[in-house]
Amino acid sequence: MSPRLFLKFKGAYMSKKDNPIMSWYKKLSISQRQTVTAYLFLLPALIFFFTFVVTPILSGLFTSLFDYTTKKFEFIGFGNYVKLFSNTIFLKSLKNTVKLVVISVPIIVLFSLFASVVLYQKNAVVRSVFRGIFYLPVVTGTVAVVVVWKWMFDPYNGVLNYVLMKANLISEQIQWLGDKRFAMWAIIIILITTSVGQPIILYIAALGNLDTSQIEAAKIDGANEWQVFRHIKWPGIMPTTLYVVVITTINTFQCFSLIQLLTSGGPNYNTSTIMYLVYETAFKSPYRFGYANAMGVVLAIIIGLFSLIQFKLFQSDTE
Amino acid sequence: MKKFFVLLMTLIMSISLVACSSGSSATDSTPTDEVVDVEDITTLEAEITWWAFPTFTTVDGVSGKYEESLVAAFNEKYPNIKVNVEMIDFTNGPEKIVTAIQGNTAPDVLFDAPGRIIDYGRSGYLVSLNDLVEETGLLEDIANPNILEASSDGETYWMYPTSAAPFVMAVNKTALEKEGLFDLVPSEGDRTWTTDEFIELSKKMQEAGYYGVEIFAGGQGGDQGTRAFITNLTNANLMNADLSEYTLSEAAGVEALTLINDGVKAGWLAANTGGVANDALEHFTTPTNSTFWAVALWSPNLHSARQEELDASNIEAIAVTLPSKDGSPKLEYLVNGYAIFDNKDATKIAAAKEFVKFLSDDEVIGKQNVLATNCFPVRTSFGDLYEGDENMSYYASLTKYYGAYYNTVNGFGSMRPFWWGSLQAMIIDDMNPEEAAVYFDENANLTLDE
Repeated sequence: MSPRLFLKFKGAYMSKKDNPIMSWYKKLSISQRQTVTAYLFLLPALIFFFTFVVTPILSGLFTSLFDYTTKKFEFIGFGNYVKLFSNTIFLKSLKNTVKLVVISVPIIVLFSLFASVVLYQKNAVVRSVFRGIFYLPVVTGTVAVVVVWKWMFDPYNGVLNYVLMKANLISEQIQWLGDKRFAMWAIIIILITTSVGQPIILYIAALGNLDTSQIEAAKIDGANEWQVFRHIKWPGIMPTTLYVVVITTINTFQCFSLIQLLTSGGPNYNTSTIMYLVYETAFKSPYRFGYANAMGVVLAIIIGLFSLIQFKLFQSDTE
Repeated sequence: MKKFFVLLMTLIMSISLVACSSGSSATDSTPTDEVVDVEDITTLEAEITWWAFPTFTTVDGVSGKYEESLVAAFNEKYPNIKVNVEMIDFTNGPEKIVTAIQGNTAPDVLFDAPGRIIDYGRSGYLVSLNDLVEETGLLEDIANPNILEASSDGETYWMYPTSAAPFVMAVNKTALEKEGLFDLVPSEGDRTWTTDEFIELSKKMQEAGYYGVEIFAGGQGGDQGTRAFITNLTNANLMNADLSEYTLSEAAGVEALTLINDGVKAGWLAANTGGVANDALEHFTTPTNSTFWAVALWSPNLHSARQEELDASNIEAIAVTLPSKDGSPKLEYLVNGYAIFDNKDATKIAAAKEFVKFLSDDEVIGKQNVLATNCFPVRTSFGDLYEGDENMSYYASLTKYYGAYYNTVNGFGSMRPFWWGSLQAMIIDDMNPEEAAVYFDENANLTLDE
């Protein structure tokens, strides 16, 4: 008798027929069996999800209620949250984060839309070339991109100051990353160049999928380009716009590596974002993990609220 | 319902990015006192992990190759102790160590400097090395008592020191000679000079079209360079004598910051509020659009590491002490050493101690390792390892100028962002020098109680 036909239960081998799990399964209706089977297929993904997503979330929420460093772990209730809102550096970082989102997200979305509208009707070769150009900064590692930008922004050996001085546009070096008037704009420029790739790809695909007969009909009826875009193309790509806006907003809120590699939040916290501050608080001495987690929770709530507003704003157009 | 689910997922994903630390704490940690009893220690069986910053000179330009060769040499004597080497870098290494500590995956041996090591020791993560220091006779053999002081928190030795070297500054001899101004640089004896002499030369080099000492304030990389350079200008003290309080806001400290601010505005000093020491060193050794005649951070190991760039740029750099008001500087210094993490396994701890002893005190390997750091041995018994090398003899002669080692005070790591933060704030005119000094002291003093 083949051992594969037997299962070990309570120390004794038994046939499938005697197995209590199999017996229970057989008692289920067909729809219940389908549900159980579906959940079994989902189980591996759910295990990963709970281990690497849900558990850290709960751990983060839990430890945000503690004065948790490498040296202590004391319950302080909402103490971290109370302290946050009297922390001028946190408030400055919050302001910078909102500024970054409010300035860069509309630029990213509008530029992507503009580039896509211009490109989507070009021939396949031109479209592919430009898609490649715009997508290159996305697939290139952030560190590599930042190293090149940092070299360009270098006040003494950088190409940017060199060109501007040679063209007599400036008389002395600009501290692009060390001057509060320029640092945030330097970050925004890099953020835009590294963020437009994906929206452009999505918009070109969405525009290509529009029903051309509607566009042709509108043109025959005398609609101009703007009217065609406003009344046919724009509603048609609204679901893509919603996705692009929400994802770009979330990514911008979580802007971290650019700040860490370029300015370390400086000068004088003028480019510090909440994500950067979370890192600095948790991983620089005195390693205030609980306090950093509280910042993370506040950031998540803010992102949630922003996303809710965006869903509400775009809701009527997408349905 | 779908939208609610999407929003919920958004919230969950956002939190998950920042909520990934475990719940362990230092208070759970109790150092292991268990003793391993083996007749012949060379027969001890264990597997340990060694994390090293790239302090040793690389072999064939390959990071970790030299460290692997040390393990091979160790295994000839201790064949049953397996050592896994992992190289960590100065940018992400400190965070990696903290993450490993929190995840109970800390290495057994760490090669680092006192600033971080003493902090780990105070937090209860390390094994006391008092026994090792006594057993190996280091106390009697030490070249400078300051080094031992730097390796302990006053009660326990958390680091086993092996080599040390002073931080000084360097000048571009080639440029100075070209401008006929090299005679204004102290080039004899201890090469000390006064602040007035330095300012006079700075202004003359500015007139000749050169950039002066770069005040970098974009991060903590090499920030000890700006601290020592600035405080020496007016003989100010960053901390009081018993290292219990930061004192930059005293008259001499404010005077020093004022001098820096004036120098930057007048152009005989160069500001780089977005850069760190590495940028200043690169500007000094590889000038492209701008030439700097001096750099505020230099050491024998930096000199060695940057020699190739200097040669490519046809620059001869020479080390001089930092300028000070009275011509008698207080220098900061680098100490390299080993720490052993308490991973609750007496056998691993015993093996780690043997490994540290071998790397530090072995007749051949010990000296070889000191040379590989381009620093000086902490043991007098190692003698002069750089006999006949005039350059290294000069660095070795500066021991007498070593100042108080404050890198081991409580909260040292937390103080550093306030140092470069206050410099940044002053240079970009967010604060005047006095406000910057007060801001630094107020915040830095809070870190002492961490």
